[in-house]
Amino acid sequence: MSHLVLRRLGDLGLIVGIAALVIPFIIALVIALRPAADVAADPLGFPTTLTLDNFFRTAQQLNYGRSLLNSTIFTVGSSIVIVIVGAMVSYPIARLARGWTNSLYRYFILGLTIPIFVLLAPLYLLFRDLHLLNTHIGTILIYSAMNLPIAVFFFSSFMRSVPVELEEAAALDGSGPYRTFFTIVFPLMRPIVATLAVTLVLSLWNDLIVPLIFMQGTDNRTVMSNAFALIDPRKADPTTLFPAALLGVAPLIIVFFILQRQIVDGIAAGAVK
Amino acid sequence: MLTRRPLVALSFALPALLLYSVIVIYPLFSGAYLSLTDSSGGPKADFVGLDNYVRLFGDGDVWDALRVTLLYAVVVVVFQNLFGLLLARGLYNRPRARKIVTAFVLLPSLVAPVMAAFIFSYIFAPEGALNSFLGAIGLDSLQRVWLGDPSTALFAVAAVNIWGFAGYSGIIYLAGYSAIDKDVLNAAAIDGASGFSRFRYIEWPLITPALTVNLALNVIGALRVFELPLVMTNGGPANSTTTITMLIYRNLFGSAGGFAYATALAVFFLLLVVVVAVTMTTLLRARERRMF
Repeated sequence: MSHLVLRRLGDLGLIVGIAALVIPFIIALVIALRPAADVAADPLGFPTTLTLDNFFRTAQQLNYGRSLLNSTIFTVGSSIVIVIVGAMVSYPIARLARGWTNSLYRYFILGLTIPIFVLLAPLYLLFRDLHLLNTHIGTILIYSAMNLPIAVFFFSSFMRSVPVELEEAAALDGSGPYRTFFTIVFPLMRPIVATLAVTLVLSLWNDLIVPLIFMQGTDNRTVMSNAFALIDPRKADPTTLFPAALLGVAPLIIVFFILQRQIVDGIAAGAVK
Repeated sequence: MLTRRPLVALSFALPALLLYSVIVIYPLFSGAYLSLTDSSGGPKADFVGLDNYVRLFGDGDVWDALRVTLLYAVVVVVFQNLFGLLLARGLYNRPRARKIVTAFVLLPSLVAPVMAAFIFSYIFAPEGALNSFLGAIGLDSLQRVWLGDPSTALFAVAAVNIWGFAGYSGIIYLAGYSAIDKDVLNAAAIDGASGFSRFRYIEWPLITPALTVNLALNVIGALRVFELPLVMTNGGPANSTTTITMLIYRNLFGSAGGFAYATALAVFFLLLVVVVAVTMTTLLRARERRMF
């Protein structure tokens, strides 16, 4: 009897918890879809008419297309560099048990604890001198370098679990080390590339601090830095705030629903080791 | 093969080595030097020794920011893990609900801090959703100006962080639960272990790896918090949400001449992160060794 009561209490707790996670989305979506005049009259009222006007108006006000393009360039460009360069450096680390590859591993892992805030001032001066401020390539370089530690961490342990025999067979067939790496080893990395890519896309897309400091030109802003620059949440209407928030999240949610399985597995993978 | 050709092996490492050394490691050292000067970002900078650090240790704002940052981290880590664990336990025991709910649980973790700050600025606004809800259920006495009151602002910001990542923590705990051998739980049930004792003596030790992963992710993440207080409160009211990262940012691009001082603050922040990370890793490893 008491067991059943506990179980029902557990059900209730779970429902309340999940409601708390989902309700902010519902509030945002419903208010974003209501005409501005209705919301002003009764912010939490039941929606009587629905419209996409708020989305169009906010997208235009935010120059959404331009910032969307910048965010995409940074996210995709950096992810590609990180995956390729990170996999390459992990190859000798995973395959050679030498003093220097061990040091190399530790040199990169060190970077996992370095917060970007420590690098802001010196990197700003360096990029100013190299004329890399306000350039797309500069931002991609920052993101790539900052994320190499996590790539090395992911790749080197995964590569060790891949048997070396395939590479030996390829070498006997006369395949050089670069060809062996790119045609045999790299394709085998697919599962870990998926996990890494998901982690990277999430953190790069959502980042504010790098574009805020290194891409200050109006046309160079990302979705995040643009929204931050143009909207003050303490003054803006909910009919601007919510469409802006949803426009910022929408691309990730679309990707998420396509790759849902990989994402859940990727997050879970870390826990079981 | 790589074994016999060290130069080829090195060539694989070269692009990453170059990129990482120039953009992460070199600025780390040039930043440490910068913190010993009076640079204001221009070409002229004189060596001033430890002046910036002396100023830092006597600066009340720094200690306030340290207190705010640590309090924030503790609140976020404790509640995020508590809710995550409850969620995982609830879903583990309800396999049918798990399939449907998992995707929704992860949804908040996709939301950028800037965008979450937008949504919750309205929820916590004086005439916003939370106060309306409290009014509607007759709890008017609990209504607050959540983000405008120094006693609630930090907790309101922390709540957004917890909302964002409790589900993420939960999925990691759920994976930990799924890795537990079913026979162990069945045996425990036959022996009459139930409720809290089952959790404390059977489940809790077995989800140790998931706990380690979650703490490692959450603690460092919470110390680095920046966007949420920046967008929601800009450090206010009365500096009650000014974290160390906010202080660095303000000195860097705000008041004149704060450039070198901001770097000293950043070095101080790096030391804080390293000390916390090393302490935590040591404690977690010792704990794992005791358990297995």
